[in-house]
Amino acid sequence: MEISNKSSKGKILASGIIPFAFLILLVAYIFGPGSDLLDFGIPLPEITMEKVDFVDSEILVTVRNTGPIPVEVVMADINDRIQPAAIEPDRFLERYETALVRIPFEWNEAEPYIIGLTIEDGTRFEKEIEAAAPALEPSLELAGFFALIGTYVGIIPVMIGLLWLPFIKRISKNKYHFFLALTAGLLLFLGIDSIEEALEVSEENLAGSFNGALLVVTVVVLSFLGLYYTGEKLVKRAESSRLTKPVAIALMISIGIGLHNFGEGLAIGAAVGLGSIAFSTFLIVGFALHNTTEGIAIAAPMSRGKGLVGKALIGKLAALGLIAGSPAIFGAWIGGFVYSPFTSVIFLAIGAGAIFQVIITLLRWIREEGDKNLSSAAVVSGFAVGMLVMYLTSILV
Amino acid sequence: MKKYRSRIMIASISVIIAMSALYFTFTEEISVQLEEAVFVTHTGGVIKTTGEVLDPLYTSATMEFDPMKYLREFNYGKVSQLPDGTTLREFTIIAEDDKVMEVSPGVFFNVWTFNGTVPGPTIRATEGDLVRINFINNGLKSHTMHFHGIHPAEMDGVFEIVGPEGGKFTYEFEAGPVGVHPYHCHVMPLEEHIVRGLYGVYIVDPKEGRPVADEMVMVLNGLDTDFDTENNFYAANTIPFYYQHHPIEINTNELIRIYVVNMVEFDPINNLHLHGNLYKYYPTGTDIVPSFYTDMITLSQTERGIMEFEYEYPGKYLFHAHKVEFSEKGWVGIFLVKDNLDQKSQTGIDYGN
Repeated sequence: MEISNKSSKGKILASGIIPFAFLILLVAYIFGPGSDLLDFGIPLPEITMEKVDFVDSEILVTVRNTGPIPVEVVMADINDRIQPAAIEPDRFLERYETALVRIPFEWNEAEPYIIGLTIEDGTRFEKEIEAAAPALEPSLELAGFFALIGTYVGIIPVMIGLLWLPFIKRISKNKYHFFLALTAGLLLFLGIDSIEEALEVSEENLAGSFNGALLVVTVVVLSFLGLYYTGEKLVKRAESSRLTKPVAIALMISIGIGLHNFGEGLAIGAAVGLGSIAFSTFLIVGFALHNTTEGIAIAAPMSRGKGLVGKALIGKLAALGLIAGSPAIFGAWIGGFVYSPFTSVIFLAIGAGAIFQVIITLLRWIREEGDKNLSSAAVVSGFAVGMLVMYLTSILV
Repeated sequence: MKKYRSRIMIASISVIIAMSALYFTFTEEISVQLEEAVFVTHTGGVIKTTGEVLDPLYTSATMEFDPMKYLREFNYGKVSQLPDGTTLREFTIIAEDDKVMEVSPGVFFNVWTFNGTVPGPTIRATEGDLVRINFINNGLKSHTMHFHGIHPAEMDGVFEIVGPEGGKFTYEFEAGPVGVHPYHCHVMPLEEHIVRGLYGVYIVDPKEGRPVADEMVMVLNGLDTDFDTENNFYAANTIPFYYQHHPIEINTNELIRIYVVNMVEFDPINNLHLHGNLYKYYPTGTDIVPSFYTDMITLSQTERGIMEFEYEYPGKYLFHAHKVEFSEKGWVGIFLVKDNLDQKSQTGIDYGN
C-alpha cells in the first residue's frame, strides 16, 4: 500500500514536470544555434529616456534599451542641435540595460527642451521636457519641506475628515448606510484614479516592452489578492468579538488609503521635482480638499465601534489617520528625490488593488448590516454621491 | 500547513516586487566606476567622465572617405586626342547602393555612391572637350547619371534607365557651358536617389583658364539617417564637423577658389558665410566677372557658384551655414590661414594635360 502510494506520487510529479521539459526543449530549439528559420521580420531598436535631470550646466539623461536588440548610443542633441556629451558607463546597451548620458548645456530655467539621442544606425529618439528645473538635491531642509507638504495633503485632511465621526455616530441606521456606501463610492473613484494615473505614467515614461497596461493590471490583481487574503484573516480574528470588527475594517480602509496616498505623494514630489511650484501649490490645495473625504471613509465604520470611547477612541482614530495620511510624506520624499516611473507605476497599482479590496469588504459589511440588501435608496444614493463628490473635488487637482 | 504555505507565497511575491522596484530605481548606482576620459564642450568647458565620450567634434573616426583628400581632388579623366584635335576625356563611374559608411563617429548609414564615395568624384574638363563617361551600375536598383549642362536629350540620364547589377551606359557630350555644375542620379523616387549620396561636381574650365589659385570643392550636403524627410546631419563634403576638427590650411595673400555646390534636400535653402573676409561670387561660374562681393550667399537646391578670396591676416577663420541650425548639425569648418609667403600649396592648374 505504502509503495504504490509512493509510485503514484512519483507519477504525478513526473506528469507535472514533463510538459516543462518539453517547453524548455522548445525554447532551446528556438534560441539554439542553427535555428535562424524563425528570423522573420526586422527587429527595430528602441531606447527610452526614463528620466531627465537638470543640474549645474549639465543635463543628465537616464536611458534604457527597451528594444529587442542591443544598441549603441552614439550622439546626443538638445533641441535637435548636436552637443558633445558623455555616456556612463559605456555606449553599449544590452536589452533593458540603462546608461547615464551627460550633456553639458547652459540650460535656462522653466524653458522647454527636447532631448535627442541617436543610435548607431542613425535613428534618433527624443524626449520632450515641458519646463527645465534644477534637480532637487536631497537636503534636510527639502526633506522637511516635503514632510510639511505630505502633512498638509495627507495627515491633516484625513484628520479633519475623521472629525465627522460624532456626526455619523448619531445618525440613523439608514443614513449610516448612506455614509458607508458614500465611502465605497469615494474609494471606487480613488481606485480608478490610481489606475488611470498608473497607466498615464507608464504610457509617458515606460517603454512598450514593459507592457505598461498589463503591468498595472497584474500588480492591481496581486495587491488585491494579497490584501484580500490578509484582510479576511484580520476580520475573521475580529469576529470573535463584535467590538473590533469595525476597527478591523477601518484599519483596512486606512491601509488602502495609505497606499493610495503614497502614490499621491509620489505625484506631488515629482511635480515639485519638475519645478512647476505654482502648479504644485494648486495640486496641494486640491489634494487637501480631496483627501478630507478619505477621513469620512475611515470614520464611517469606526462610528459603529461600540464601547470605544474617550482616549481609546481618539488614540485609535489618530493611529488610523496616520496610517492613511503619513504615506503621503514618504511618497513625496521618494517622488522628489529618487523618482522613477517604474516604482511610481508599481505603487499606484498596489494602491488601486488595496482600494478595490477595501470596497469589496465594505460592500459585504453593508450587506450584512443592511438586511442583505445592497439596492436600498440609502446605499445607491450614497455610492453615487461618493463618486460625484470625488469627481467634483478632483477638478481642483 | 496550507495557510503557512500561502503566507510564504504572498511574502515571496511582495519581496520580488520590492526587489525589482529597488533594482529599477537604483540601476545607475550599481554600475561600476571606470577610469576618466575628458572632453571639451561647445562653450569650452572641460568635462571629465568615467564613461565614453559622445562627440562628433573631437573623437576621430576611422573613415573610408577622406574629406581632406576630396577637397582638392580633381579628376581630369583618361586624356586622348581625337583626329580633329578635340581632347577626349574618358571616365569610368560605378554606382553602388549597398555600402554602409560611418558618416559620423558611431553612426553607420547605407549610402549610395558613385565610385564608392559621397559625393562622387569631381569630374573636370575644359570647355569644348569631349567627355565620355563609361557608367556601370553595380547597384541593386536602377541608376543613371544626369549632368547639369548642355547636351543632347538622350545623354540626359533621365529616360535611359540603367538596370541594376551590371547595367551599362556611355554618356558622351561636349563639355559646356563654362562653370561648376552638379551631376546626380535621376531615377525615381528622385529625392531618395539624391539624398542617399548619388551626386557629384562637374567643372568646366574656360579655354583660357582661370587665374592660378588654391582650388577646392565643397559640396554642401545633408544626411537623413532616420528617414523622416529631415536631415540629421549637415556638412561641407558629407562628414559633419570634419573641417572644424581638421582645419583647412591655406596661405595668406594666396587666391583661394572654392567651387560650391548645394546638394541639400528637404530644406529649401543653404548658405555659406565666411568669417573675417568677403568673397567674390560667380553664380554657376559661368561668367568671369563676379556678380557679388559679399560674405554671405544663399543657395537653393543644386544652386552653385565659385567663390574667390584672399586672407590678409593669419589665424583661424570659421566658415559655416548662417542658417545656424545647419552649422550646429555639422556644416561648419575652419580655415587655418598661415603666413607662408614662399610656399604656395598649389603652383598652378595643369588641367590634366
